[in-house]
Amino acid sequence: MDAVLAGLAAISDPYMLFLVLAGTVLGIIVGALPGISGSTTTALLLPLTVMMSPTQAIAFLGAIYCAANYGGSITAILINTPGDPSASATAFDGYPMAVRGEAGRALGMSAVASAIGGIFSVFVLIVAAPLLARLAYQFGPPEYFALAVFGLSMVAAIGGDSAVKNLLAAAFGVLLATVGLDLTTGVERFTFGVYALSDGIEFIPVLIGLFAIAELLEQAAQHGIVQKVIALETVKLPTLADFRKCAKAITISSVIGTFIGVLPALGATTAALFCYNETKRWSKYKHEFGKGAIEGVAGPEAANNAAVGGAMVPTLALGIPGSTTTAIILAGMIVQGVRPGPHLFTEQPTLLYVVFWSMLAANLLYLVLGLGAAKLFARIALIPNAYLWPAVFVLSVVGAYAPNQSMIDVWTMLIFGVVGFALRRYGFSPAPLIMGLVLGKLVEETMKQSLLIFDQSWLMFLSRPVVVVLFAVTLAGLFAPVIAKAWRRVRA
Amino acid sequence: MTKTDNAAIHAPISRRGFAVGAVAAAGLAALPVRAQEKFPDKTIEVVTHAGVGGGTDITARMMMVHAPGAFKTEFAVVNKVGGSGAAALGYATGKPRDGYTIMLITQTHLLTIMQGKAQVKYDEIVGLARATDDPQILMVGKSSPLKSASELIAAGKAKPLKVGATQLGGVDHLAVFGFAKKAGIQQPTVVPFRGGGDIVINTVSGNVDVGILNYAEAESQVKAGDVRPLLTLAAKRLGPLPDVPSAKDLGLDASYSTVRGFVALKGVPEDRLKILEDGLLKAMGGQMYASYIQTSGQSPESVAGRKGWQAQLDAFYTEGQDALKALGLLK
Repeated sequence: MDAVLAGLAAISDPYMLFLVLAGTVLGIIVGALPGISGSTTTALLLPLTVMMSPTQAIAFLGAIYCAANYGGSITAILINTPGDPSASATAFDGYPMAVRGEAGRALGMSAVASAIGGIFSVFVLIVAAPLLARLAYQFGPPEYFALAVFGLSMVAAIGGDSAVKNLLAAAFGVLLATVGLDLTTGVERFTFGVYALSDGIEFIPVLIGLFAIAELLEQAAQHGIVQKVIALETVKLPTLADFRKCAKAITISSVIGTFIGVLPALGATTAALFCYNETKRWSKYKHEFGKGAIEGVAGPEAANNAAVGGAMVPTLALGIPGSTTTAIILAGMIVQGVRPGPHLFTEQPTLLYVVFWSMLAANLLYLVLGLGAAKLFARIALIPNAYLWPAVFVLSVVGAYAPNQSMIDVWTMLIFGVVGFALRRYGFSPAPLIMGLVLGKLVEETMKQSLLIFDQSWLMFLSRPVVVVLFAVTLAGLFAPVIAKAWRRVRA
Repeated sequence: MTKTDNAAIHAPISRRGFAVGAVAAAGLAALPVRAQEKFPDKTIEVVTHAGVGGGTDITARMMMVHAPGAFKTEFAVVNKVGGSGAAALGYATGKPRDGYTIMLITQTHLLTIMQGKAQVKYDEIVGLARATDDPQILMVGKSSPLKSASELIAAGKAKPLKVGATQLGGVDHLAVFGFAKKAGIQQPTVVPFRGGGDIVINTVSGNVDVGILNYAEAESQVKAGDVRPLLTLAAKRLGPLPDVPSAKDLGLDASYSTVRGFVALKGVPEDRLKILEDGLLKAMGGQMYASYIQTSGQSPESVAGRKGWQAQLDAFYTEGQDALKALGLLK
């Protein structure tokens, strides 16, 4: 208890509060800019934090991390361009809402759902970190394989209308994931001698292309047609009824998002995509999804912010980062002479509570800023197309180029813009493609690692309890419609 | 099968590499570097293959804390990610060889050069100063039956061990291969993982028999007793692990470490190489850099000058080439 209060006292210092506020505002801004993610920002500011005390540095970096995950949703909703990869699922329903003139409602819901998910995960971090951290040791390649198979088994159901088209798009995504140097053989696949492809197809340019450029082309194709004037005379915030409708989505996603965040290999992006599926599965209004369902914004936003607290768990408890950004925060702590790990909980309890309080404060701050400024942000939707889309194009090019300073990434982005445009024309949804791209590599690598561990014996998968449970859930999910039909026939 | 695939894929690169090299050489001839100019009087670029925030990127930035003072000029990091260093080497090749472009490289760059995937040849790499030297350590999980280095070697002779390492054909893999050969154990089954964190987890949980790790990667698990270091693959014991025998203690000449260091490309005038070496050593002698080396668990003798660093590069290049050939990963 002393440590709790000591931590609170440490962050009540005016300079600390200023750093948390500065980190939050900065996080929202960089989160909203496509291509500049929370991880890039924390990395660039790392030398700056060297001048701070360890507690100040960690509070500052933690605040950026929390807020950047929320900021990504702003551009995802307003211009269909995820500002951060973790907000890609938010665009599925957030942008249709904005087109309908409900940008304020979507932005407000995003702020609230993000804050709830984030705060939930921060509490999990502080209460269960030492216990939860042990989960990481339970998850080896076979368990990740089963989890990824479970994720892929759901692609038929997400986005779009046709299960067959979803499966085709997902298969294309898995195929794209095979490009690059194969971890288990050291052989390059589908790189055609282009060395920029040897690390695989970069995720960020693909996302920017599929969303922003495809949308730009879509808008351009409508040139000459009388433009729909977006009804946005009064920007409305979400109502109490909206929150009631989304309560279930937020609850489920907060829990699953935190769990996925704890797993070292999976981060906020996977959490958001997973929870988009789960939200749809548990929703009473499945038909609204993809067309502007408010639950479709609440679910992934709660999830990607819950993953933030989750990712801090292995970082602090094991010294093993749960995501890219936590890897940089970890480096920052090490430079400060603080080495996270199992002993951190006993040696420096105050520091742990500083992380807790500052992340809690950051979540509350962006909630206030987000709700207060949602109306301001939403006005972006009122900017005439002639100004908005050229600006989006410039941002997309910069965003694709910035992370790796590579022109190949810009070409990738443009190619996937055309691909995304064509896909939409023929009734495909980008969601399963992204799912395939994210999970494809995980499925393949973990399967090969597992077989090396099992001396190439497939049956050994069944000797792992977690794997058996996950396989059972996958089978149940796949055959649920068949079983339900058969059951009804028996009853009739 | 694999070999012919590689040959087919890489042939176009070497042709293009030759063309670019020729163009660069022509450009150099037209603009001879005047030795009497004051050096350095503009920003020096440090090219790395790591993304912003990657381990090598952080090393570069830590050196740069004191570099402006040592050189009286500005420094900038250029991150050229891709192709296991090929993108960074390619970028540096396109720059004039006037000393204003230096690279922070790892052994991975040398492997890339060996496989003919880069636009430079090995003899064009000129060592300036070593930045970090991180010995590889063989570690087992808490519940492993192996208690000592001699038990590890005995177990390895009885049957092939499963060793958690990074990329197949990468630095870790070559270390495992070289150690196995020198210790006379059966060649282990290498289970490749994406990074040190994954190797630690799978070593603790017993999914692999042994993990090949740097001290910093497993420091907290070592302190908590979840992971047991058995053997440091170096000539000397590591400071923080005084009870763990070194390879030399067992009579093995098996030194394998992860190194990062600064290099320039051949063609930079000798007086500038000297200025760069001296300045880099001075910058890395700063207090900030020393505490970075210490807190990241690296050998305190990490920083070394041109001579030692070049010798280490040469040794790795020769041994690595033989190992890759033996593994069938190089023609």
